[in-house]
Amino acid sequence: MSIDFTLDLRGESCPYPVIYTLETLRDLKKGQLLQVITDCPSSFRNVPEEVVKHGYTLEQDPVRNGQEFLFYIRA
Amino acid sequence: MKQVYDKVFNRYWSPYLAMALAGILSAVYFGITGTVWAVTGEFTRLGGHLLEWSGVDISDWAYFQLIHMNGTTFTRTDGWIVWGMFIGALIMILLSNSFKIRVPRQKRRLLQGLAGGFVAGFGARLALGCNLAAFFTGVPQFSLHSWIFIAATAIGTYLGTKLVNTSWWKGKPTLLKGNAAAPSAARKKIQPYVGAVLALAYAALIVYFYAAGKTMLGTAALFGAAFGILIERGQICFTSAFRDLWISGRAAMTKAIFVGMAVSSVATLIIILVNGMDPITKIAAPSTLIGGILFGIGIVMAGGCETGMMYRLMEGQVVFLPVFIGNIAGATALAYAWDHLGIFNAIVKPGKPINLITAMGPAGAIILTLALLAVGFGIAVYWQKNYRFGIGFKKGETKHVH
Repeated sequence: MSIDFTLDLRGESCPYPVIYTLETLRDLKKGQLLQVITDCPSSFRNVPEEVVKHGYTLEQDPVRNGQEFLFYIRA
Repeated sequence: MKQVYDKVFNRYWSPYLAMALAGILSAVYFGITGTVWAVTGEFTRLGGHLLEWSGVDISDWAYFQLIHMNGTTFTRTDGWIVWGMFIGALIMILLSNSFKIRVPRQKRRLLQGLAGGFVAGFGARLALGCNLAAFFTGVPQFSLHSWIFIAATAIGTYLGTKLVNTSWWKGKPTLLKGNAAAPSAARKKIQPYVGAVLALAYAALIVYFYAAGKTMLGTAALFGAAFGILIERGQICFTSAFRDLWISGRAAMTKAIFVGMAVSSVATLIIILVNGMDPITKIAAPSTLIGGILFGIGIVMAGGCETGMMYRLMEGQVVFLPVFIGNIAGATALAYAWDHLGIFNAIVKPGKPINLITAMGPAGAIILTLALLAVGFGIAVYWQKNYRFGIGFKKGETKHVH
C-alpha cells in the first residue's frame, strides 16, 4: 500500500478530525491515498462514516492501535 | 467470553440502543426520586460552594435559593448523579483500554474551550436546564420550555458552526507527504484491571448507601453510573446532534436522540399516570430562547456540552478541563446576574410554566410530542441524505463522482 499523504490529527477533538479529513480529501487528486491517524474516540465512528458518505472509499477497515485509530482513504 | 468482552468493551454501542436505555432509565429515575436526570443545576451549586469557601456571602442570591444549596454535593442526589456519571464513564473507559492524556496541539483550543464552556454554562442555566433537563429529560416531562430550548439550540449551533469554521478559529493541520505517522508503541494493558477495581469499589459504595439507609443517594449513585456508562459507550454527543448537521449532514446522533426521547416520553407518561405524579414543568420565557441560543453557540465553541464534556474529560481529553471550569464559571455568573443585574425581572418573569398534559390532557400531550419528534427525525433523515460538506444542499458540485 503506497501512502501519498499522512494527516496526523492526534490530540484534536471533534469536529476537527472530520473537517480536516474532508478538507484534505477535497484537495487531493482522485486516486491518491490518504492516511489519517486520530485519537479522539468519536472519530473512530464519524470519520469513516462521513468519508464514505462523501464519496471516498476506505482502502481497508479502520485499524485500532491502543488508543489510536488509523484510516486509509482513497480520494 | 472473549467475544462478549470484545462486543461490550472494545466496540462502541449503537447510539440508538444507548439513548433508548437512557430514556427508560431516566423515566424510572423520575418515578423513584421525583427529580430528573440533570447536571448543570449541580454545576451551579458547585460554583456556589466555591464562592462560599472564598468568603462570599451568597445567602441572599435569589438563584441559589431557587435551586437550593442544602448540604454538600455528596449528600445530594443531584450531586451523585454527576459523580456517578464521571465514575461510570471512567470505569468503561478503563475497561476498554481507552484512556489517554490527549493534549491538543493547537493551544488555542484550550482558550476556545474555556470561552465556549462559559457561554454554554451561562446559557443553560438561563434557560433553567441544559441538554438534559431542558431537552432530553424535559421533552418527556411535557414541559413546553424544552421545545423552545431545542429550537433555540438549533439556531445557536448554526451560529456557532459559522464561528468555528472561520480559519482563525479552526486552525490548520499539518499534512505530511508519504507514510509519515509513527503510531505509538503498544503498551501492556493495565487499564482494564484498574477499571475492575474501581467498579468494585464503586459498587461497594452503592451497597453502603443502601445499607446505611441512604436509599436515595444509593439510587442516584447507581443511576448516575448507568447514565455515564451509556453516554460513554454510545459516544452520545448532543453537540454533534446539531453541529454535524450544519457541517457535513451527519445525523446519526440526531436520530438516536429523537428515538431516545420518544421512548422516554412514553415511559414517563406511564409512570406519571400510574403513580399519579405531577410532571416537572419549567418556566417558558424569553430567557429560554436566549439561553438556548447561547447554549448552542457555547457547546459548538467548546466542542461538547455539559454532558458530553463529562466522559470526554474522563477519556483524558485535556481540552475539556477548561470546558468544565468554563461551565461552572458561566453557570455561577448567571446565578449572580439573575437578580443582581436584573435578568430575572427582564426576561424570565414575563414567562410562565406551561405543561402539555395540563394544556391538552395526557393523550393530546403524547400525540403532539411523538408527532413533533417524528418531524424532527424526518428532517434529520432528509438532511443526512442531501446535505454535504462545503456544499450544503446544492447538487452536482462534488469534485469526485463515484
